[in-house]
Amino acid sequence: MGKPLILVGSVTYAIKGRNILARTGIWSRVERAPSGGGCGYCIYVPDRTDEAEDILFRSGVRVAGRTERRDAP
Amino acid sequence: MIYLDNAATTYPKPESVRRAVAAALSQYGANPGRSGHDMSMAAAEEIYRCRTAAADFFHAPGPECVAFTLNCTHALNYVLKGLLKPGDHAVTSCLEHNAVARPLYALSKEGVEVTEARVYPGDNDATVDAFRKALRPNTRLVVCTHASNVWGIRLPVERITALSHEYRIPVAVDCAQSAGVLPVDLADGGVDYLCAAGHKGLYGPMGTGLLVTARGGGLKTLIEGGTGTNSAELEQPLSMPDRMESGTQNMPGIAGLRAGIEFVRSLGTERIFHHEMTLVQYLYRRLAALRNVVLYTPEPTERYFAPVLSFNVGDLPSEAVGRSLNERGIAVRTGLHCAPAAHRFYGTLERGAVRVCPSAFTRRAEMDRLVQALAAIG
Repeated sequence: MGKPLILVGSVTYAIKGRNILARTGIWSRVERAPSGGGCGYCIYVPDRTDEAEDILFRSGVRVAGRTERRDAP
Repeated sequence: MIYLDNAATTYPKPESVRRAVAAALSQYGANPGRSGHDMSMAAAEEIYRCRTAAADFFHAPGPECVAFTLNCTHALNYVLKGLLKPGDHAVTSCLEHNAVARPLYALSKEGVEVTEARVYPGDNDATVDAFRKALRPNTRLVVCTHASNVWGIRLPVERITALSHEYRIPVAVDCAQSAGVLPVDLADGGVDYLCAAGHKGLYGPMGTGLLVTARGGGLKTLIEGGTGTNSAELEQPLSMPDRMESGTQNMPGIAGLRAGIEFVRSLGTERIFHHEMTLVQYLYRRLAALRNVVLYTPEPTERYFAPVLSFNVGDLPSEAVGRSLNERGIAVRTGLHCAPAAHRFYGTLERGAVRVCPSAFTRRAEMDRLVQALAAIG
């Protein structure tokens, strides 16, 4: 299983989302989104990812979807 | 030098602004919002800090409502040309800077109708009434300055906004002279499109401006291009701020703007306004005592004016006065200040006027030096 990533519309929303999650005690990190849908940013949320997605949605952060990524060794 | 040309751009900039620009160049030298490496991410975080600072300052719903522009003119063009189309009607004031007047004129040639509402200095009821009478069924936008960049006359934008919202007409405000000095925001029925210069009352570097709006997604774009997001799509992103921010951002400028906004917050807008108004009122009284100085407005009061004062000396062209002051080490702005409509209002279209605008750093002794110099010129 790869790293769970929440896709968002822009780096602005990624940073905003990470800050919102931090306030609710969920650790996350802004990362470059995997290529495929074009350039973009995502939030890597290793734990409580579903809950994090709900929080972001309720907070007005536009979530573009979910994906996973395997990092290069 | 005594610098009294702060309505054009503030000088000096706070030490914190200079440090922030230098730090951006040395520490955040990568392109923000484009890459995933550490320095690009650090640059993006710095941009985000400025977005957050601006959103908090203007009570915007969130940092995504803040788009960085080159200047206030750039932001105003985004709104006017992004919203108005042939057949639409716009209401503006009779004191506008060319940042509003020229785009509206260009739009008028394409079929947009424009009505100028008269401003009545010292009578906000009459001014609001003039705006009310100018509204039509096809009015799509009310756009006006918050404070005249020539005469300092304040427009009652809160009341104009309330009036316009009664008819579901959005309001754009040119806050070039007011941001950082006068209260204006998006909260609780506030303005819909707030356009501001970053390098004036917000003490950022030149080359910075702001469009603050929760309605940016509804604007047609003037510039499309790379945003670092959705690159596979040819369609420009709909969401703010990417919709309005194509191409590489002015990272050092934005870092400086963040420090500038923090500087203003630390001093307090009210305190800065009171300090500058006290200086302008003092200057007005000193100039009124000089026989050779021509004043046009009533004595500025905090309720009706922003801290900008324009005048003339005898029958001298304003440019001649400006040159003479420059020789005495005093920097002012002369001519028409890119606002012919405002000069038409007081009949100074031919000779222009000498404009003085203090900043948070200006001292009373500098006003005394100016008065001495003007007395000598006359």
